[in-house]
Amino acid sequence: MSVAVWIPVATVAASRFPQPQFDSGHTVPQTVHPPFEALVPAWADVLILALALAVTVWLAHRVRSRRWLLVFSLVCLAWFGFIRQGCICPVGAVQNVAVAAWSGGGLPWSVAALFALPLLTALLFGRVFCGAVCPLGALQDLFIITPQRVPRSVDAVLRLVPPAVLAVGLVYAINGAGYLICRTDPFVGLFRRSAPMPMFLTGAAVLLVGMVVARPYCRYFCPYGVLLEWCSRLAWRPFAITAHECINCRLCVGTCPVDAITVPRAAPGDTARRGLFRRFVLMLMLAPLVVAGCVAAGWLLGAQAARAHPSVIVAERLAQTPESEMDLHPEIEAFKRTGRTPEQAAAEAAVTVARFRRGCAWAGAFVGVIMALRLLGMTRLQRRTLHEADRERCIVCGRCFAACPKNVQRSTSNAQLSNQKGDT
Amino acid sequence: MREQEQETTRRDALAWLLRAGAGAVVASFAAKAAQRQTADRTVWQIDPRACIQCGRCETECVLHPSAVKCVHGYAMCGYCKLCFGYFKSDAARLDEAAENQICPTGAISRVFIEDPYFEYHIDESLCTGCGLCVKGCTHFGNGSLYLQIRHDRCTNCNACRIAEKCPAQAISRVPASRPYLLKESL
Ligand code: SF4
Ligand code: SF4
Ligand code: SF4
Ligand code: SF4
Repeated sequence: MSVAVWIPVATVAASRFPQPQFDSGHTVPQTVHPPFEALVPAWADVLILALALAVTVWLAHRVRSRRWLLVFSLVCLAWFGFIRQGCICPVGAVQNVAVAAWSGGGLPWSVAALFALPLLTALLFGRVFCGAVCPLGALQDLFIITPQRVPRSVDAVLRLVPPAVLAVGLVYAINGAGYLICRTDPFVGLFRRSAPMPMFLTGAAVLLVGMVVARPYCRYFCPYGVLLEWCSRLAWRPFAITAHECINCRLCVGTCPVDAITVPRAAPGDTARRGLFRRFVLMLMLAPLVVAGCVAAGWLLGAQAARAHPSVIVAERLAQTPESEMDLHPEIEAFKRTGRTPEQAAAEAAVTVARFRRGCAWAGAFVGVIMALRLLGMTRLQRRTLHEADRERCIVCGRCFAACPKNVQRSTSNAQLSNQKGDT
Repeated sequence: MREQEQETTRRDALAWLLRAGAGAVVASFAAKAAQRQTADRTVWQIDPRACIQCGRCETECVLHPSAVKCVHGYAMCGYCKLCFGYFKSDAARLDEAAENQICPTGAISRVFIEDPYFEYHIDESLCTGCGLCVKGCTHFGNGSLYLQIRHDRCTNCNACRIAEKCPAQAISRVPASRPYLLKESL
C-alpha cells in the first residue's frame, strides 16, 4: 500500500501531534549536546603566540641559525597548523578587528591581541612572524626547492595583489559579505585534513608553484603581509644577514629565495641624476592619474564584488529566475518566508551595490596610492654600500646566514674551539 | 664628526618617533576594536527557526562529513508511527527497509515504545547533515528534528563557510558558553 503523497499543512512547525502519555511509563530521553571545548583557553593562545614570537626573535637575531629556525618553524606548523587547526590566526583576525572597529561590535580581547602582537614585533625586529611562527609560511617554506628569480616587472605587478586583497577583504567584511581573507586561505583545509576538493587542490597548487616561486602566498597574496611590511620597514633592529661587518663578497645574494637581498649601488652621476629627476617629475604628474585610474577601476568592479552579498544574491535570483522555476532555489524559498516584496529586495540590493562601489573605490584609492608611491620610490637617489636584507621583503628564513663568510668564520672557529676542548 | 653624530641622533629620534607612532596606531586600532569586549568567545550556530533545510549544510562545511548534524528534540516529538522524518513520502510500506527511509545513510533508527508509538534516534556518526529528515518533520510533523552545528566536531572557523552560503542566513555567532539554539527552548 502506498502512503499517499503528503500535502503541506503549513510551513511553521507546530505541535501537530501532541506527545502521548505513555502507559508503559516510558520517560522521554534528553538529547545530549556536547559543549564547546577550546583546545586551550584564549589567554593561552595569546601567550603561546607571544612565546613563539619571542623564541623566533631569539633564533633569528641571537642564535642566527637557519637550522634552528627551520626546526622551530616545524614546531609552529605542528601547533598553529595541524593541532590548533588554523583558526583564529592573525591573518584572518584583521577582518574581525576591522569589523569591530568599524561597526563598534564586540571583539574578544584575545583576537585583538593576536592581531597586534606580530605587528608590534615587526616594529622592533622585522617580519619574524613570517620566519617561523606563521603556519602558512612554514608550510610553503618546506616546499622551496629551486627558487627562481621573479622578473622585476612581474614582481612589481604581483606585489599589488596583497594590498588589493587587504582592501577588498575589509570592504567585504565590513559590509557583511563574509570573510574573503579566510575564504582564500589555501591551506586551512590541509591543516584540518578535511576539506572540499577545490580547497585541497588550490592548496596543493600553491605548494607546487612554491617549489619554483618561493612562498607565493606570502609574497603575492597575504593581506597581513602588507601590514607586516609597513611595520618591518620601521623596525628598530631589522633582520641582519651578518652580525659582523659586510665585506661585500656577494656570496649571500643567490641564497635568498625571495630575492630580498639588496646589493650595493653607487651614487648616481650627474647625468643619471638629471634623468632620475626628470623621471621623478614625470611620475609625480602621473601619480594622480594612477590613483584616479585605480579609483575608477574600484568603482566599476564594486558592482561585481557586491554579488557576494546576500541581498544582491537574492535580488539577482529573483530577477533572473523564470516563474516556473521559483521553487527550485533555496534563496527564493528563504526570501518568500521573510514576507518582503521583490521590489524591496531590489531596492535593498541597489543600496548594497552603491555601498560596495564606494568601498571598492576607496580600496582602489588605497592600491593606487601604494602604486604611485612605489613608482616614485623607483626614482629615489639611492646609494647603498653594503649587502642588506630588504626590510619589507625579507621573511626571516635565515637561509643567507650560512652563505656569509663572516658568519661561517665565527661558527667554524667556535666548532674548532669545542673540538679542541673535546680533544684535551 | 660632531655634526655627523648629531645627525645620527636626530635620525634615531625620528625613527623612534615613527616607530612609536606606528605602534600606537596598531595598539589603538586593536584597542578600539576590543573596546566593547564580548566577554566570551563565540561559536557558530544554526537558528532552527530560520533554517529551510536547503542541503548546503551537508556540502559547504570545511569538514567532510559536515559538523552539522540532525538533533532530536524529544520533548517536541509526537512519537508518530508514521514519522515524516523517517519515511519517504512515497514509502511502499511503513517498515525499516532502506528504500522506505528518508535518511540516505540510515542514520535514524526507531524503537517501538508502545502501540502505536515509536521513538526515533539519530546516529550522529552516520548523519551527514543533509536535512532531508528535518524537512519532512518540519513541514508535516512537529518539527522536533532540526539541524545544529555540533561542537565536538566543529573546528570553529573564523568564518563559517556554511554561514556564508546559507540562503536563509540562519547561521550566526553565539556565545561559546551557550553554544546551541535548541528548538525546544526557543
Ligand atoms: S633571511 Fe631574509 S634575506 Fe636572508 S635568505 Fe631569508 S628572506 Fe632572504
Ligand atoms: S545552509 Fe542554512 S538553510 Fe540550509 S540547511 Fe543549513 S542552516 Fe538550513
Ligand atoms: S536525513 Fe540527513 S540530516 Fe536526517 S539523519 Fe539522515 S543524514 Fe542526518
Ligand atoms: S564553523 Fe567550520 S567546521 Fe564549523 S560548521 Fe562552519 S564550516 Fe563547518
